Amino acid sequence: MSEPRLTLQFTVNGSEQIIEVSPTRRLLDILRSDLNLTGPKEGCSIGRCGACSVLVDGQSTPACLLLACQLQGRSVQTIEGLRDEPVFERVSAALVNAGALQCGYCTPGIASTLTAALRNNPTATAQELEQALYGNLCRCTGYTGLRQAVAELART
Amino acid sequence: MSTNDFTPRQLNADNFADRWQPRPDARSKARGEQRYPTDELAWPGLLHGRILRSPFPHAQITGINVDAARELPGVHAVVTAADIPGDNHYGIVFRDQPVFCTDRVRYLGDALAAVAADTPEIAAHALSLIEVQYTELPVLGDPAAALADGAPPLHPGGNLLDSSLLEHGDVEAAFKACAFVVEGRYSTPRQMHVFMETEGGVAVPDNQGGLTFRVGCQSGHRDREQLASILDLPLDKVRVIGLATGGGFGGKDELTMQPAAGLLALRTGRPVRIHFDRRESTIAGIKRHPVELVARTGCDAQGNILAHQLHAVLDTGAYATLGPAVLTNLTDHAAAPLYRIPNVKVTGQLVYTNNSVAGAFRGFGGNQATFAVESQLDKLAAAAGLHPAGLRKRNLRTPDDAGVEGQTQQQPCDPRLLLDAALASPLWENATETDNRRWLTGVGMALGAQGNGLGNGLPDSGGARLHLSAAGRIELAFGFIEYGQGVIAAVEHLACEYLGCAPDDLDIRLGDSSGPDSGPTSASRSSVIAVEALRRLQPQWRAALQDIAGPHADDLAPGRGGLCTPSGDLRISYAKLAKMAAQRPVLKVHFDFPTGPDATPRGRYLQLLIASVARVAVDRLTGRVRVLQLHHITAGGKVIHPPSYLGQIEGAAVMGMGMALLEDVPMQDGQFLLDNLDAYLIPTLADAPEQRVDVIEAILGGDSYPVRGIGELGIEAISPALIAAIENATGARLHSLPVRPTTLLTAMQEQHP
Repeated sequence: MSEPRLTLQFTVNGSEQIIEVSPTRRLLDILRSDLNLTGPKEGCSIGRCGACSVLVDGQSTPACLLLACQLQGRSVQTIEGLRDEPVFERVSAALVNAGALQCGYCTPGIASTLTAALRNNPTATAQELEQALYGNLCRCTGYTGLRQAVAELART
Repeated sequence: MSTNDFTPRQLNADNFADRWQPRPDARSKARGEQRYPTDELAWPGLLHGRILRSPFPHAQITGINVDAARELPGVHAVVTAADIPGDNHYGIVFRDQPVFCTDRVRYLGDALAAVAADTPEIAAHALSLIEVQYTELPVLGDPAAALADGAPPLHPGGNLLDSSLLEHGDVEAAFKACAFVVEGRYSTPRQMHVFMETEGGVAVPDNQGGLTFRVGCQSGHRDREQLASILDLPLDKVRVIGLATGGGFGGKDELTMQPAAGLLALRTGRPVRIHFDRRESTIAGIKRHPVELVARTGCDAQGNILAHQLHAVLDTGAYATLGPAVLTNLTDHAAAPLYRIPNVKVTGQLVYTNNSVAGAFRGFGGNQATFAVESQLDKLAAAAGLHPAGLRKRNLRTPDDAGVEGQTQQQPCDPRLLLDAALASPLWENATETDNRRWLTGVGMALGAQGNGLGNGLPDSGGARLHLSAAGRIELAFGFIEYGQGVIAAVEHLACEYLGCAPDDLDIRLGDSSGPDSGPTSASRSSVIAVEALRRLQPQWRAALQDIAGPHADDLAPGRGGLCTPSGDLRISYAKLAKMAAQRPVLKVHFDFPTGPDATPRGRYLQLLIASVARVAVDRLTGRVRVLQLHHITAGGKVIHPPSYLGQIEGAAVMGMGMALLEDVPMQDGQFLLDNLDAYLIPTLADAPEQRVDVIEAILGGDSYPVRGIGELGIEAISPALIAAIENATGARLHSLPVRPTTLLTAMQEQHP
């Protein structure tokens, strides 16, 4: 008996992908193991920590929760595909200048989530940006630097 | 800044503009380009390892059969204790923890076997095919059960792993002379480190019988020794590279996946990756010791503390790891090191159970003890009708007083300075305002003391290597691991300060056991080691470069880009010096961590101080506590890299807030009642308070040791400050952490029935 396979056609960082996968393969494994996109990090595997956040059709989503069978025709962006965007440049500069990271393991998820929030609402207030980050855990910083970065992004 | 200026100064980008720069790895981390152990996926021929763990917290093993697992297609190796070439045991203090169990399992994290397979899925399937027969044994679910008569011994020496006694004076006689005596029973939780990156990495064979580990760890050199012993390899056949990793906090101090991955890599001749998922990290990972503390403290009618007694029982779980060292540090802190008390008796018991293994965790037992001690001070002040700060001020030690074990210490400053600054905090304004009827607000404070280094005369040395490369790069190597704390930023700043170079001249190499041994990345010791190393290297480096430059170089000194004139003009670049050199300099230093002048060092010599002030709001309907603001005053030496210093204090405070208000891994009969972040909650951005950190950089006695490690300071006093703030808001004083809303609500109702 052979394992069920799925021909998955979707977009990753702007390029069309057609891959044969198990229908229950997680998006996180497809990205990290199959496509060598290691920017999204695994933290809890149950959608609670936000370290694996990627943008699916423009919305920040934990990549550990989506399966291959749920990705047909959709567009996925990882931090690797965001780096050249001006909005992302602003986000990463704000994180760097505010000292908003230490070990940095949660940072790709935070930077991706902030990029989506600002893209979807360029005039987002600091409070709205903070609310977008409530699902992104950080164990190192105590969040004060992150809050400063968010305030800076809301101001500029 | 004058070295005599002991005025606290707010640490922020404006006040510290001259030193406020991004850490060297900030940009790559913000762009998601930093590589972590979990990203070691691209090795050719990589196999995926998994470890089989016990289904029972306590059982005898009567048989194990791995044949079916070995025959599964895609499986390349299945290993058990029978395959361990060397010592099947490890542990930093005592080697009592089996790599793979043979006759008995003592907790749910115990390992029986490991497999390496083509995919993680096949590896998981193979584990399910391993047959182990067990006979269940009685579970020792807490220290009382483990110490009860007739309890089965978990280890040959019995269930009392270690005990402590610190005594001076005569507490019994002194209590009789006290006008006021307060008692308290305190408990603290089994806190989990929750580094965002779990334990993991890869073991790579070199095809000459040796192995390289690329892992998340806290001491490449010490891990190498343990791994060489387990794998029966000469030290030079084992290389451990501690990669930049996603958090440590003490939880990666002990070996984790390395023995199993190493053995599988040797067996298969292929790279083997093992990365714990969060569930495995919860079950097999180290925790903070849950501690039950019973304290009694008394003072005379004027508020002079005459006697203090404390007994602590620590649940260390199934194996020792660093438990005995945690007990020593807890005992030291339980003796109220900030206060001058003539009669003190502290006793402690470190007890094996069938629970999660407890070991190193930021604070290292000190913060659990400080919670009880500072709470006792508040209770005593209330009993004696004194202001909590007044009682403290009357009894604070002076910087010249000996430590609690009679040892010489180097205090940063008079602790009264911190107390005064805490009392002047703006948080006290509108302390108990109630702008609506639902939320009660309150402010509280506590003091904490903390030491650097392994302490107690334990072997504690470190070193560095400084080298001019053929390309003219300044290569500076330490054994430290960068796990987020910012040691890379500290080393960069210190190197530029002591060697005169620019950041661009430097290549910093960290965490490689084939490089210099700097000692473990723990005990807030790295910054001190880095400064001491660079102080020693500075004159040698200058002389070595002048030597290359030849005669007439006497007034040239290492500077930005190369040897410079006294006015700073570049004369000979490092690249040119590298070409001119007949032999390029390789300088090595190795020395002991400063332990002071005592013949027999006890406790810790280099000391730091903190005062934490907390403002909280308590929901009268639910008993939920929100932390609104935290204000810390620290005396921890010179601030090397302001964003890292700030991040360490603030991050430790929020971690301590988690311990006080949220975090616990509850266990029942050796079973974990949760195993992931859906039920183990840590503070989020929504919970994070506003914070302010004021620093006293000056240090008494000038610049003999101008820098202290501050990685654990911020967690020291946060729990008692929060408990005092909750009492200030509600009138209810709590003794058990974390504070459960229902417990607080009940206590509030008892206050106002």
